[in-house]
Amino acid sequence: MKKTEFFEHLLEALEPEEEISLDQDTDLREVEEYDSLTVLSIIAMTDEHFGVTLSAQDFKEITTVQSLMDLIGADQFE
Amino acid sequence: MRNAMITDIAYYLPERVVTNDDLSQEFPDWDPHKIENKVGIRERRYAKEGETAGDLAVKASELLFERVDRQKIDFLILCTQSPDYFLPTTACVLQDKLSLRNDIGALDFNLGCSGFVYGLAIAKGLIATGVANQILLVMAETYSKHMHPTDRSNRTIFGDGAAASLIAASETNGIRDFVLGTDGSGFDKLIVKNGGFRCKFDASASKSSEDGVGKPTDNNIYMDGPAVFNFTIDKIPALFNNVLEKNQLESDDVDLVIFHQANKYILNYLRKKIGIPPEKFYINMVEKGNTVSATIPIALKDAMNEGLLKSGQKVLICGFGVGLSWGGTVIEV
Repeated sequence: MKKTEFFEHLLEALEPEEEISLDQDTDLREVEEYDSLTVLSIIAMTDEHFGVTLSAQDFKEITTVQSLMDLIGADQFE
Repeated sequence: MRNAMITDIAYYLPERVVTNDDLSQEFPDWDPHKIENKVGIRERRYAKEGETAGDLAVKASELLFERVDRQKIDFLILCTQSPDYFLPTTACVLQDKLSLRNDIGALDFNLGCSGFVYGLAIAKGLIATGVANQILLVMAETYSKHMHPTDRSNRTIFGDGAAASLIAASETNGIRDFVLGTDGSGFDKLIVKNGGFRCKFDASASKSSEDGVGKPTDNNIYMDGPAVFNFTIDKIPALFNNVLEKNQLESDDVDLVIFHQANKYILNYLRKKIGIPPEKFYINMVEKGNTVSATIPIALKDAMNEGLLKSGQKVLICGFGVGLSWGGTVIEV
């Protein structure tokens, strides 16, 4: 998947109230909407598009968007 | 083999209403509309202080007895994870409170969101073997008692409630074949750790080791949301297909699908993943929340009241959750 496409899916999952832009360096923990509800959407998104299951432990390790992409697998991105 | 069917259902929700607006006053980051859009819940009910699952069970059963003769009940089965006492069994107390006959069996079993399916499996077995003819099957849950006041995620999802169903010997094969499953390796994904005898209740318990918003302790309910969601993604599509296969049905043969009402987001994700059309997939939690084992009978009752289900139609039901435990069957209403 192209990274730009991934960022769009991630934005859909986060449903931010105010317009925000995402890139690899965005710290998800600083995104206001990143909570137990949006975590469900991120799990659904990675299952649907990558067939990857993220655990609660994984979410403890997620910091930046790049760290999420690393968990999904570098080979999944163009 | 003697057949069985669900011949009537009644349910009771406690009076205390907690709305999303109430929650957002306590948790300013919690947007009430966002919660409703996402999890499909606007309000849920909590039992009052001193009002127990046993009390809710009595209320639901008395509503059923407005139409059903209590003297005909010859077995009582109650499912709860918030019993009135360690012992005796809440069902024994209920026998007396409901003025049921003395020559009947009564027992509790401890399951959560899969409980109704398991209750039907037990009831079907008791009827098939001639042990009982008219079984009162009650789901009664007060998870609010297990929740820490600052646990906004669980307080958003769960509500208290009770549903009483009559399962009776019948001509119609109204409770078909079952597919059941258990994975105890996930026992700690949804758990109240303290209060039993492995880990006793600890009045000085501090914030549990799990991160997250709020300060729940090991005396409170803990849910690893991602793990439970992953479990449903992994098990439930296969469960749905296995239930169809075991009953030699195609998905078109089923008139309505009712899953345990976990939350709207998870339900819609499973629906899409399995490929169930939205008009056949019943979601019913906006004013009740997730009432654990009671969600499926409550949804069945509401679907009948709304005219979505008519006599003779087939419903595929699936329950899944704490245990981890899952199960499904097809019922004819």
